Amino acid sequence: MAQAHAAGGHLETSTGLDNRKLLMWLFLGSECLFFGSFISAYLLYRDRNLTGPYAADLYDIPFTSVSSFVLLMSSLSMVLALAAIQRGDMRGLRIWLICTALLGITFLAGQAFEFTEFNREGLSLSTNLFGTTFFVLTGFHGAHVTVGVLILLSMVAMEARGQLTPEHSLQVELAGLYWHFVDIVWIVIFTLVYLIQPQ
Amino acid sequence: MRAHRATLLRLTAVALMIGAAVLLSGCEPFSSAQNTFSPGGEVAEKQKNLFLLVLWPALAIFVLVQGGVIYIMFRYRQRREGEPLPLQVHGSPRMELAWTVAPAILLAIIAVPTLGALFDTGRKPHDDALRIDVQGQRFTWNYTYPGYLADGAPLQLFGEPVSEDQPQGKPAELHIPTGREIGIYVTAADVIHSFWVPKLAGKIDVVPGRENYLWLKADKPGTYRGQCAEFCGASEDGKTGHSQMRLIVVAESPEDFEAWLESQGAEPAPDAPPAAEETAGE
Amino acid sequence: MAMTATGGPLTMADAIKQIRADAATYRGIWSWIATVDHKRIGVMYGVTAFIFFLFGGVEALLIRTQLAAADQTLLDADQYNRIFTMHGTTMVFLVIMPLSSAFFNLMVPLMIGARDVAFPRLNAFSYWLFLAGGLLLNASFFASKGILDGELGAPGAGWFGYAPLTLNTYSPGHGVDYWMLSLQILGIASLAGGFNFIVTILNMRAPGMTLFRMPLFVWMTLVTSFLIIFAMPVIAVALFELTFDRLFGANYFNASAGGTPLLWQHMFWLFGHPEVYILILPAMGIVSEVLPTFSRKPLFGYPFVVFSGVAIGFMSWGVWAHHMYTTGLGSVANAAFGVSTIMIGVPTGVKIFNWMGTLWGGSLRLTTAMLFSIGFIAMFTIGGLTGITHSIVPSDYQQQDTYYIVAHFHQVLFGGALFGLFSGAYYWFPKFSGRLLNEGLGKLHFWLMFIGFNLTFQPMMVLGLLGMPRRIDTYGSGPGFEGWEIWNMMATTGAFIIALSIAVFMVNFVRSLRGGEEAGADPWDGRTLEWAIPSPPPAYNFAEIPQVRALDDFWHKKYVEDATGRPVPVPAGASNGHEEDESGGGHGIHLPSPSYFPLIAAIGFPLIALGLMYDHALVAVGAAVVLVGLYGWVLEPATEE
Repeated sequence: MAQAHAAGGHLETSTGLDNRKLLMWLFLGSECLFFGSFISAYLLYRDRNLTGPYAADLYDIPFTSVSSFVLLMSSLSMVLALAAIQRGDMRGLRIWLICTALLGITFLAGQAFEFTEFNREGLSLSTNLFGTTFFVLTGFHGAHVTVGVLILLSMVAMEARGQLTPEHSLQVELAGLYWHFVDIVWIVIFTLVYLIQPQ
Repeated sequence: MRAHRATLLRLTAVALMIGAAVLLSGCEPFSSAQNTFSPGGEVAEKQKNLFLLVLWPALAIFVLVQGGVIYIMFRYRQRREGEPLPLQVHGSPRMELAWTVAPAILLAIIAVPTLGALFDTGRKPHDDALRIDVQGQRFTWNYTYPGYLADGAPLQLFGEPVSEDQPQGKPAELHIPTGREIGIYVTAADVIHSFWVPKLAGKIDVVPGRENYLWLKADKPGTYRGQCAEFCGASEDGKTGHSQMRLIVVAESPEDFEAWLESQGAEPAPDAPPAAEETAGE
Repeated sequence: MAMTATGGPLTMADAIKQIRADAATYRGIWSWIATVDHKRIGVMYGVTAFIFFLFGGVEALLIRTQLAAADQTLLDADQYNRIFTMHGTTMVFLVIMPLSSAFFNLMVPLMIGARDVAFPRLNAFSYWLFLAGGLLLNASFFASKGILDGELGAPGAGWFGYAPLTLNTYSPGHGVDYWMLSLQILGIASLAGGFNFIVTILNMRAPGMTLFRMPLFVWMTLVTSFLIIFAMPVIAVALFELTFDRLFGANYFNASAGGTPLLWQHMFWLFGHPEVYILILPAMGIVSEVLPTFSRKPLFGYPFVVFSGVAIGFMSWGVWAHHMYTTGLGSVANAAFGVSTIMIGVPTGVKIFNWMGTLWGGSLRLTTAMLFSIGFIAMFTIGGLTGITHSIVPSDYQQQDTYYIVAHFHQVLFGGALFGLFSGAYYWFPKFSGRLLNEGLGKLHFWLMFIGFNLTFQPMMVLGLLGMPRRIDTYGSGPGFEGWEIWNMMATTGAFIIALSIAVFMVNFVRSLRGGEEAGADPWDGRTLEWAIPSPPPAYNFAEIPQVRALDDFWHKKYVEDATGRPVPVPAGASNGHEEDESGGGHGIHLPSPSYFPLIAAIGFPLIALGLMYDHALVAVGAAVVLVGLYGWVLEPATEE
C-alpha cells in the first residue's frame, strides 16, 4: 500500500508480520469466499439448464489447457521477478515482471477469443444458466487477472522512474501473492468448470 | 427511588407478558380468526403446544434474569460517593461451567420434542390425503382439485386478483372436508408467496420453479382465514398488493363437502357467490 | 513525516513539538476532508450515521402511523413498500453498522495503545465510501419517476430483497438498482474497515498488550471484523448476480430458465446471519466495558466472555437457514439448522450470566451509560429468548414472517445493539468532547426510550401471534383482524415516545457540547488505556506508548489490592513501580499526512453505479476517477504504518 516507507521509520508490529502483508493475506482469505460463492452458483446450476448450447458443445479443452498453462507459467516468472529484486537485480526484475504481464495478457487474449467464439456459437449471458454462470464467473476471474496485469505494468513503470528500489521487495512480494492467488483460483475453475463436466 | 421505578417498570413488563400469554390462549376478544393460539386442527394444535412448551422455561429464565437485574440494582446500588471499592471478583470457573451446561441441557431437552414434531408436521402428505394444488399469483390464490370432475378433469377455482374497481380482489374459497388429511401442494405463478392459514397450520412458502407441500387437518366445520405471508410487492398502480392477498378456507363435514363438489362438477351454479368460481376442463 | 523530513533520529521533545505544530493546523473544513486521523474519522462516522438514523426514524414513524389503525390510507401499498424497505436498509447498513464503525475508529487505537489504525488512508477511504453509498441509496428517492414527479423512487422489495421480486419484471424503475449498487459500495466500505481493524488489533498493540489483556470491546471488534471480511464477499456475489440479472439480462434468479430464487436466499442469509452478529457483537463489547467501570469491579469471567464471543462468531456461519424454514428445505435440513440455532443460545446465555456476575456484589453507579447497559441486558434477554422460540422449527412455521419476528429482531437490534451504542455514546462522549453529557437529560432519554421501546415492540409479539404478517401496508377490521387495532395503536404510541427520547438526546448532545461539565481525563474512574490520556486526546494519542502489564492496566496503576484482596487507591505521589520504565521507548512520533486521494477514489464508485444505470460512458469516467485516486494514493509520500 504505502509506497514511501521511510527506512528507519519502521515500527515493530505485535505479530512481527508486516501490516501490508497481513492485509494481503486477509484480503485473499476474503477473496476465497468471493470466488467460492460464484463457483458454488456455477456448480448448483450446472445440471439445471433448460436449453442449449451446453458446456460440452462449446468447450475446447486443448485450447483452454494451453491458456491455463500460460497462466501457470506466469506464476513461475513472478517467482523469478521476486527473486531478482530480493538479490538486487533490477534488470532481472524488469524482465520477469514484463514477462509475467505478457503471459497474463496472453491468457486474457485467450479468454477474449474464447468468449467471442462461444458468443458466435450462440451463447450469451442471457441464453441459459450456463451462459450466465460461465461468463460471470470466468469474467470476474479475467477482471482479477486484468487488475494484476495493471499492477505489474505499474511496477515496471515505477522501476523505470526509479521509484521501485531493492528496499521495496515487499511490494513485489505482495503483488506476487495476489498473482499466485489469481492463478490458483484459475486452477480450481479450470478443474471444476471445464474438466469435470455434467453427463 | 429510581430503582423503584425500574422495578415497577419491569414488573409491569412481566405482568404484560404473562397477561398477553393468558389472553392469547383463552380470552375471546383476542382470538381473532387468524390467531395462532386458537388452533382449529391437528397441525396448528401441535405447533401451539410446542410454543407453550418453550414459553414456560423461557418465562422462567426471563423472570430469573429480569428479577436478578432488579434485585442487583436495589441491593448493590452505590449509596454514597467514595464508598470503599467492592471485592474484586474475577470469575468462577465452576459457575461458568454451571451456566454453560445447565442451559445446554435445558435446550437439549427442548430439542427432543421439537425434532419429533418437526418430522411430523413437516412430512409429505400421506397418499390417501385429499390433494389440492394451490397456486399463488399476485395478489390472489388459485385452487385445483385434481380429477374431481365427472370426466376426471380437475376442478379449478380462480381467485380474482385485485383491480381498479375491486381493490381487495375477490378470493376464491378453498373448500375442504373436516377430519381428513389435506395435502396442499403449492406453486407460484410469479414471485414468492406464502400459504398461511394460522388456525390450521404454519406456513409454507410458495416459490417459483418448485413445488412445496404442507399437510393440514380441520377438526370442526367453519371458515378459516389467512393471508399471504411472504412479501410479494404492490400492484402496478401502487394502490394495493401483498396485504390484500387473502385466504379463505371453508371446512365442511364430509357430506357437505361432497355436496359442494357435486355442485361444482354437475353444473357450475352461475349465482353462487361469494367466490368467483369457474370450472375448467371439458 | 517528522522522520523523513530530517532523516536523522529525533528526540522526543522535538517530535512532540513538531506534532503540536501540525496539529495546530488541524482547522477548517478541508482539514476534515483530508483527515486520516482515526478520531476524526470516528466522529464523522458517528455524525453521519446519526443523521441517517433520523432518516430511518422518520421512515419508522411513517410506517407506524400508517398501521396505527385499520384501513389507513396515509401511504398507498407501493409507497409503504418503499418506505419500509428504506427503513430496514437504512437502519442496518447506514446506522448500526457505521455507528459500530464509529466506535471502532474512536476507541480501538486508544484502547490498545496505538497512535492510529494500521492504514489511516484506507480508513478514510472506508468512511468516504460509506458516505457515498448512503447518499446513493437515499438519492433513490429522487430517481426517475421519483419524489420530484410526485412518486417515491426508492427501492420497494424489502431489505433482504428476495428474488424474483427484485427482478425487472416485478420491480421496474431504478429503485432496486440503487439499492443493490449502494449496498455493493457499502460492502466495500465495510470490507476495507474490516481488514484495517484486524491488522490494527493484531499488529498495533502496545508492548505488553497481549491478546488476553485486550479490552473486551477490542476483542469484539476483532471478531466482528473477521465476520465482515468473510460475510461481505458473499453478499457482494449475490448483489453482482442480481446486478447481472437486472442490468444485463442474466438468468441467476430466473425460474423460467431453470434458475432458483432460493439461491438468493441462501446467499443472502449466509451473509445475513453473520451480519446479525456484526450488528450485535460491538454493542456487547461496549456493554462489557461499561458494566465493570460502573460496578467498580472487573468483568466477571473475562476469558469466558471472550470465548463465547468467538464461539458466537463461528456458530453464526451455521445457522443461516433458520431464516428459511418455510421455504421447503426439507425436514432433515430444518432439523440440522434448528439444532444449531438452539445451540447458539448457549454462548449468548454465557455472556448474559457473566454480565450479571459483574454487577453482582459491585458498587453500582447508575449513570446513564450504566442504565443503557443494564437496559441492554434486560431487552437483549427478551430478544434471546424469543430467538429460542424460533429455533423450535414447527412453531416457527407459525411465527415466520409475522410481527413476532419483527418484535424479535427489534429486541435484538434496538433493545440490544442500539441500547449498547447509546451506552457507549454516554460513556465515551467525555473522552472526545472533554465534557460530560448532562445526566438529568440523559436519564430522561433513557427512561423515555425504555418505555417507548417496550410499548412499541412487546405489542408486536402479540400481533404476530394473533396472525399479523409483516410487511402488510394495511389491515382490515373484519374477520381475521379482530383485536389487531389496539395493539397496533400501542405500538404506534410507543414509536412516538421513542422519537421524543431521541429529541431529548439531541438537545442534550448540543447543550453538553457547548456548556457541559468539564470531564477531565478520567471522569468515570475507568479501567482501560483511553482514560490515561487527556480528553479530548491529542492528535498523536499517546505522548509515550504505554507499557502494559495486565488486563485493565490503567486501573491497576490507580489501585492496589490490600491483604484482604480489596483494592485501595495508590497514595498520591507514590508509585507502585509502574511508572519508571515508561520512558525510553525512543520512538519518534510520526503521524500520517492528510490525504485527499481516499476521497477521490471513493467518489469514483457512485459514478460507476450511476453510469451502470443511466449511461455507460459514466462508468468509464468513474473508473478513471477511481484509478486516479488509487494511483495518487499509492504514489504520494506518506508516513503510513
